[in-house]
Amino acid sequence: MRWLGLALVVVAAATLMLGVADLPPHGAHDAPVHTHVGARYLERGVAETGMRNLVTAVLLVYRGFDTFLEVVVIFSALVAVVALPRGRAARSRDGDDQPPAALLTREGPAQERISVSPVVAFVVQLLGPFIAVFALASLYRGHVSPGGGFQSAAIFGALFIALALVQGRERAARLVPRGARVWLQALGPLSFALIGGVGWVLTGAFLGYPAEAAAYALREAMVVAVEIGIAVGGAVILAQLFMAMEG
Amino acid sequence: MTIAWSQTVPYLVVLPLAGAALVPIVARRDARAAGGFTFVVTLVTAALAIALTVRLVVEGPLTAHVGGWVAPYGIELRFDRLGAWTAPLAVFFVLVVPFAWRYLEGTVPRDRWAAFYALMLLNLGGLIGFSLTADLFNLFLAMEVVSLSSYALVAVAGRGTAAWAALKYLLLGSVSSLLVLFAVALLFALTGSLNLPDVAARLAAAEPSPAATLALASLAVAFAVKAALFPLHVWLPDAHAIAPSPVSAVLSGLVVKIGIVGLVRVMELAASSGIALDLFGELLMVLGAVAIVMGAFLAIFQDDIKLMLAYSTISNIGYIVLGLGLGAPFAVAGALVHVVNHALIKVTLFLAAGSIIHQTGLRTLTDLRGVGRTLPQTCAAMTLGAIAIVGLPPTAGFISKWYIGLGAFSAGRVAYGFALVFGALFVFIYYVRMLNAFYFRTPTREEVAAAVEPPWSMRGPVLFLAAACVIVGLLGGFLLAFIMPAVGDLLPAIRS
Repeated sequence: MRWLGLALVVVAAATLMLGVADLPPHGAHDAPVHTHVGARYLERGVAETGMRNLVTAVLLVYRGFDTFLEVVVIFSALVAVVALPRGRAARSRDGDDQPPAALLTREGPAQERISVSPVVAFVVQLLGPFIAVFALASLYRGHVSPGGGFQSAAIFGALFIALALVQGRERAARLVPRGARVWLQALGPLSFALIGGVGWVLTGAFLGYPAEAAAYALREAMVVAVEIGIAVGGAVILAQLFMAMEG
Repeated sequence: MTIAWSQTVPYLVVLPLAGAALVPIVARRDARAAGGFTFVVTLVTAALAIALTVRLVVEGPLTAHVGGWVAPYGIELRFDRLGAWTAPLAVFFVLVVPFAWRYLEGTVPRDRWAAFYALMLLNLGGLIGFSLTADLFNLFLAMEVVSLSSYALVAVAGRGTAAWAALKYLLLGSVSSLLVLFAVALLFALTGSLNLPDVAARLAAAEPSPAATLALASLAVAFAVKAALFPLHVWLPDAHAIAPSPVSAVLSGLVVKIGIVGLVRVMELAASSGIALDLFGELLMVLGAVAIVMGAFLAIFQDDIKLMLAYSTISNIGYIVLGLGLGAPFAVAGALVHVVNHALIKVTLFLAAGSIIHQTGLRTLTDLRGVGRTLPQTCAAMTLGAIAIVGLPPTAGFISKWYIGLGAFSAGRVAYGFALVFGALFVFIYYVRMLNAFYFRTPTREEVAAAVEPPWSMRGPVLFLAAACVIVGLLGGFLLAFIMPAVGDLLPAIRS
C-alpha cells in the first residue's frame, strides 16, 4: 500500500512538472502575463483608477472583489477555530484566566515569567511602540507607497504575539478589550461591504470608486477606510488565533 | 434613479458574507438572537435571488462588472440560467436555519452557536459566489470560503469522531483546493487572463499546449473530489453522517454541488477553447455509473440512517455526472435539473432524519423500529422524500432521473441506462427497508414509544420541503424548460 502511494505521488508529481515545463520561460518579456491584462494595468492603471500606486489599483480597484473574499477567508479561519471543540489542554487549563502552561517554559505556570530572559523582554517592550508606529505608517501610507492593510495587520499581529510571549497572554489580551473584539474582528468584511455600497451609490457599481481627478480626496478616504478595515480586522483576528492556540 | 438590476448581483454574495461578520456581534447579547438574525439575512438573500431570477426570465442573463471594470480587467459575476440555481439554494438555507434554532439546543454548546450561524452564512455566500463568478481566482476564493466553513461545520458539535471526520474532509479538500490553485496558475501563465470566457478565447487562439490540457484535467479532478465522485468519495460518508443534521442537509444537498458546477465550468472551458479532453465524457459516464450502483449498494448495508443518506448522495452525484457525460440534450438537462431536485430531496431527508434523531436520541434502523407510529408527520415527510429519491412519479426525483435515463437510451448507451435502473432498484430496496422498520415493526425502544413530534420551527420546514418534493415533481416541466436554453451551450463540450 505504501509503495502504491509512493508510485502515485511520483507519477502525479512528474505530470505536474511536465505541465509546468510547458509554460512560457520564467521572466520572458513576451509571456502572456506581461502582454495582456497586466500590460493594460501598467499602461492605463494610474490614469483609469485615479490611484497613485498600481498595486493598490489592482488590489482594491480592479480586483477589489477578490480582496473582499480574501478578507472573508481570513475571517472564516477565525470562526472555524472558534467553532472547534476545545482540546484537552485548554479544558484542563480551565478557562482563559490561567496563563498558558507549557508555551513559554516546559516547567509550569509558576515559572513562566521568570523563564523569559529579562533582556529579551526589555527589548521587545522597548521596540513595541516603534513596531506599532511602523505598522501604522504602512497602513496610512500603504495605498501610495509599499505597505498596505495586509502588511500592517501582519505587523500588528506579530507585535501582539511578541508582547504576549514576554508579558503573558492575559496581559496582552487587555490590549484588545473583550467587548470590542467582536466588532474589530468583523471590520475587514464590513468595511468592504460598506465602502462597496458607497461606491454603488456614487458610481452605480458595487465597489466602484469615483474616478474623476477632482474626487481624489473622496477616493483616498474610501481606500484608506478599506485599508483600516483590512489592517485592524486582520490584526485582531491574528491575535485571537494566537490566543486560541493551546500551550 | 432607476436601479440597474445587474449591479445588484454582487449583493447576493456580499449580504450573507457581511451578515456572517455581524453574527458574533448580534450573539453577544443572546445566542438565540443570532439564529433570528441569520434567518433574516438568508431571507433577504433569497428574496434578491428570486427577484433576479424573474429579471433573468424577462430580460436575459444579468452580468455585473464589479467596480465597473469590464472583463477581463475586472471581475465579472454572471447571473444566467445555470447561476439561477442560487435562488433555490438560498431558499433551502431559509428553511434550514429555522430548523437549526431548536436543533442546536442539546447538540451544540451554546457558546458555539454564534460560530455555527456565522459559518452557515459564510457557506451560503461562498456557494453563491462560486456559482456566479466568471473569474478563475475569484472562483478559487469562493471555493475556499465554502470549504473552510464546511470543515468547521462538520466538527462544530464536537462529539467523538467528528474531529476525525472533519480532518479527513479537510485533508482531501485541501488537495483538491491546491489542484484548483495550480490549474489557475497554469491558465494565467498561459493566457495572462483570469476571466473564464477570455481564457477560453485565448487558449483557442494559441497553439495547443499540454499545460492547458493539464490545467483542465487538474480542475476536473479537483472538482470531482468536491463532488465526491467515485472513487474520490471517501471523505463524504463520515463527514456527512457525523455533522449536525442541518449541516448534513447543507453539505449533502448543496455543498457537493459546487463540484458539479465546477465540472460544468470545465466543460464550458473545454468547449470554447477547443481543447479536447480525451475520453472526458466517457470517463464521466463510467465513474457516474459506478457511483450510482456502488453508492446505492453500500447504502443498503447501513443501519445508521444518516450514513445511509450519505451513501445515497454518492449515488445521486453519479446520476448527475452520468447525465453530464452522456452529452445527449435530455441527459444534460436532466442532470442539471437533478442538481436542484436532489438538493431539495436530500435537504428534506436529512432534516426529517434529524428530527427523528433529535426527538428519540436514536439513529439506527434497528433502534428506530416503529417510529412511524409516534412521529407520524415527520415520518410521512421522510417517506415522501424516500419516494422522491427512488424517483417514483409524481415526485421531484422522477423527472430528472427519467430524462437522464431517456438520454442514455436515446444516445444508444443502453448499458448506462441499465446502470441507472439497477441503481434505482437498490435505492428502492434500502428505502423499503427503512419504511418497513418505521411502519411495520413494533417499537423495541422506550425512547421511540415515548417520542413526540418536534417543535414547529423544525416540523414546519420539514413538512414544507416534503410537500415541495411532490409539487416540484408535478411542475417538473417548468424546471426543464427553464434550463433547456443553457444546455445548448454546454453540448459541444461533451461531444468533443
